[in-house]
Amino acid sequence: MITGNLKSTYAADEQVFDNRNKKLFFAACILFLVGLGLFANDYVILMACRMGLMLIAVVGLNVVVGYTGQMSLGHAAFVAVGAYTTVVFYHLVGPYFPAGIMTILAFAVAIAVSAFVGLIVGLPSLRVKGLYLAVATLAANFIVIFLIEQDLFKPWTGGMVGTDTPTPNLFGWELDTKREMYAMITTMAVLMLLFVQNLLRTRIGRAFIAIRDRDYSAEIMGISLLRYKLLSFAISAGYCGAAGALWAFFFARILPEQFELTLSLQLVAALIVGGMGRTMGPVFGVIIILLVPELIKLGFGGLTGGDASMGKYRAPLQEIAFGLLIIAFLMFEPLGLVAITDRILRAMNRWPFAR
Amino acid sequence: MLGVKDIKLTFGGITALSGVSFEAHKGEITGIIGPNGAGKTSLFNVISGFYKPDTGVVSYEGRDISPLTPDKRAAAGIARTFQNIALFRGMSVLDNIKLGGHSRLNTGFWSAGFYLGKAQREELALRKDIEEKVIDFLEIDHIRKAPITALPYGLQKRVELARALAMQPKVLLLDEPVAGMNREETGDMARFILDIQEQLGTTILLVEHDMGMVMDICSKVVVLNFGKQIAAGTPAEVQANPDVIAAYLGTAA
Amino acid sequence: MGQILQYVINGLMSGAIYALIGVGIVSVYKATKVVNFAHGYLIMFGAYFYYTFSVIVPGMEIMPDWLASWQPEWLLAWKAGLPMFSPMAAVADWIANLPRIGLGLVGAMVCNTLLGLLIERVLMRPLMGQSTFAMIMITVGMISILSGAASLIWSADADFVPHISPNAPIRFTLFGTTIFLFGADLVNMIIALLLFAAIVAMVRFTTSGVAIRATAEDQSTAYSMGISVPKVFSGAWALASLTGAIAGAILATRNGISPSLGLFGFSVLAIVLMGGLDSYGGVLIASLVIGVIEALTQWKLGGDWAEVVPYVAVLIVILIRPHGLFGQKEVERI
Repeated sequence: MITGNLKSTYAADEQVFDNRNKKLFFAACILFLVGLGLFANDYVILMACRMGLMLIAVVGLNVVVGYTGQMSLGHAAFVAVGAYTTVVFYHLVGPYFPAGIMTILAFAVAIAVSAFVGLIVGLPSLRVKGLYLAVATLAANFIVIFLIEQDLFKPWTGGMVGTDTPTPNLFGWELDTKREMYAMITTMAVLMLLFVQNLLRTRIGRAFIAIRDRDYSAEIMGISLLRYKLLSFAISAGYCGAAGALWAFFFARILPEQFELTLSLQLVAALIVGGMGRTMGPVFGVIIILLVPELIKLGFGGLTGGDASMGKYRAPLQEIAFGLLIIAFLMFEPLGLVAITDRILRAMNRWPFAR
Repeated sequence: MLGVKDIKLTFGGITALSGVSFEAHKGEITGIIGPNGAGKTSLFNVISGFYKPDTGVVSYEGRDISPLTPDKRAAAGIARTFQNIALFRGMSVLDNIKLGGHSRLNTGFWSAGFYLGKAQREELALRKDIEEKVIDFLEIDHIRKAPITALPYGLQKRVELARALAMQPKVLLLDEPVAGMNREETGDMARFILDIQEQLGTTILLVEHDMGMVMDICSKVVVLNFGKQIAAGTPAEVQANPDVIAAYLGTAA
Repeated sequence: MGQILQYVINGLMSGAIYALIGVGIVSVYKATKVVNFAHGYLIMFGAYFYYTFSVIVPGMEIMPDWLASWQPEWLLAWKAGLPMFSPMAAVADWIANLPRIGLGLVGAMVCNTLLGLLIERVLMRPLMGQSTFAMIMITVGMISILSGAASLIWSADADFVPHISPNAPIRFTLFGTTIFLFGADLVNMIIALLLFAAIVAMVRFTTSGVAIRATAEDQSTAYSMGISVPKVFSGAWALASLTGAIAGAILATRNGISPSLGLFGFSVLAIVLMGGLDSYGGVLIASLVIGVIEALTQWKLGGDWAEVVPYVAVLIVILIRPHGLFGQKEVERI
């Protein structure tokens, strides 16, 4: 139980992990992730990788939706841009660079290109808010996927049928197993989460939250809406681009249909379920959003005994469960799982004096 | 220091302001009074750049700032508080005040993301500065970590003032700082405003309905009625002006 | 010149359908300030209901034969005398289908309205007065539920559905060009425009219309002035799902039935935003314009390019006129 925080310097008070429990929690998380990498079976590793990929994208979405308060239903487009940029970059300049640095180069280029696309898609945010922005980003999502599918770009993108992806290589170390990719994805996810956390305790993060809470007041306090809205979109798109690049490295093949509206909605749903504008929101949200369909799959297989004729009902059931999750959280816990854990932690802290 | 000249502002067919001209002198408190709907807040919105006037000029430190956007005017040293408290409700008191320091910092994106070098230095310097010059000054050290929503009205007003002070403004626009406050809170706020003027030398524009306070602390008063400026001068002059009396009490026709 | 007129007419015909779909989105928005992202999926349900009542139900064992195909003596006799593929033969086919078309339309309208009311009562009403973000996201959640439910219920491959009106080919000359179109498309357009006009007239001239407009202006004031806001809510949803049923039936006969019908709603949403969310007139104009541009794009660039026309157009409109071509801008107050 922590009853007070005694600090003697401002620096101590400005830390991300500003008390003992947070430090312990972070250390435990890292330990858990390392343990998972060493001892978990392949299925768990696969799930963890998918969660890590989605987490990076949702952390990015959180910057724009959760912290800056701008609606977006099109973030899958940025994941697509990241993934396809990686592949196209390999096609174009792969032969001229040593394989060992191509991965890092492609990763950086994917982030940069996605961030740039994010800037463009963010332009409507300067004129409109809320649902107009939601529809504008949704439209952008459709357009990006449409362009990728065009025959015109088929030599680079593979069109509707998708394209094979390169194997990542870090200075000669080929990451050709899922377990090695797990190490890379998890490391990036943790680092990128911390990066956002740092942004949030500086003027940039404060400007985002100010715009979310009261945009006119923010502007009169000296925050350029133009610059910070676009910056927010660029950061968020860059994160999704990073997720896309890792996605391309992780899966052997990518298809345009993987990045359609469904993915955008999954990202938003993860944010709602986890808790918008909170650090741990994306983490909790991603775990739930990916775990529930898996549980349905397992439970369904158990109930029907693997009856093939029942198989066609599984996907619709997963879809319905996904929708119910969003609606249930909006109706009963709009602040997300984070609010529930907050309550539990508070109760634990006060126990046994109050509940 | 800060002047407006021939400001005219219309919304559709409605004239919100017309022919407003006055000058707020350096280091003085200028009061702006007038009945509800007289255009006082609209005038503030014009000065801070939120509304674009149809005609007229806003000048600041001897130059025309009409083309500047609100954020540029803030960076140039014009701060304000709002009639309906416009704090950022998702942030703590401390973060709200820190936000006032936004224009003074220039941490870049990468430095901020890694929290190294400049970002760290600037943020810590800002924190120290705010703690010593703003939080102490306005006596709100006990609530610095509290969420805005948990604060009573009077304290929220004070936090808003703190946020404006963190901008280290040369001109401070206060929009009804004591509206809805009781006598004691009003007295506190008046004392803070006078302290700001005396110790920091800030030029202050004050919109307020509390006539006692306006007449006590302002060295100059501008009176608006239906968007028109009907009087300007020292408190004594204004109180004696027949138009002002007519506007407030009605004419004995 | 010749071809272009044909495509403009095709475009106007699909534009009218967009308008009929759009009217549902606008009505719900006007009354409840909620933009229904799942409207396309409501329409998909309308299409599936029409399919159920015009194909599945008449095909059941227990149903009388005349329901599936009505063949009275006089019709058979008349049909026998007609040449194959003549316009009159199409009319004869239509008459034979009349019972199941009627059942299909009525069934679709009733079931879809019930569905709309259910959604309003269970999902929207409890959130009345909550943030618009929450309400919009609820409709986003509905997308998954509706689409999942549809594939659960109608898992079999969908069949053809009967056209609502005689599908006789029509050929005529306009400004020296021969125009070719199908009777059903023309009737669909007329139905859509008439319904659209009826709804606009209702909102403008009846007391329930006044209630809707008052609620749109200010929910709590309308409530305190004695307008039953919940009734307005359910009325708007009923209206949206009713028109959605008809639009769904029409789409089912035009494009066939598939879960992808739901995606159609998004392009209409884009069109509605272009016209201005609160403006029926704007939506009608935007629908017709986009219909025509789509048809011309299809002609010049091919079918898949036509699909992105609404999305590109909405982005352009939002950047130039943020609140749509005919929408109202709200003045921000501090």
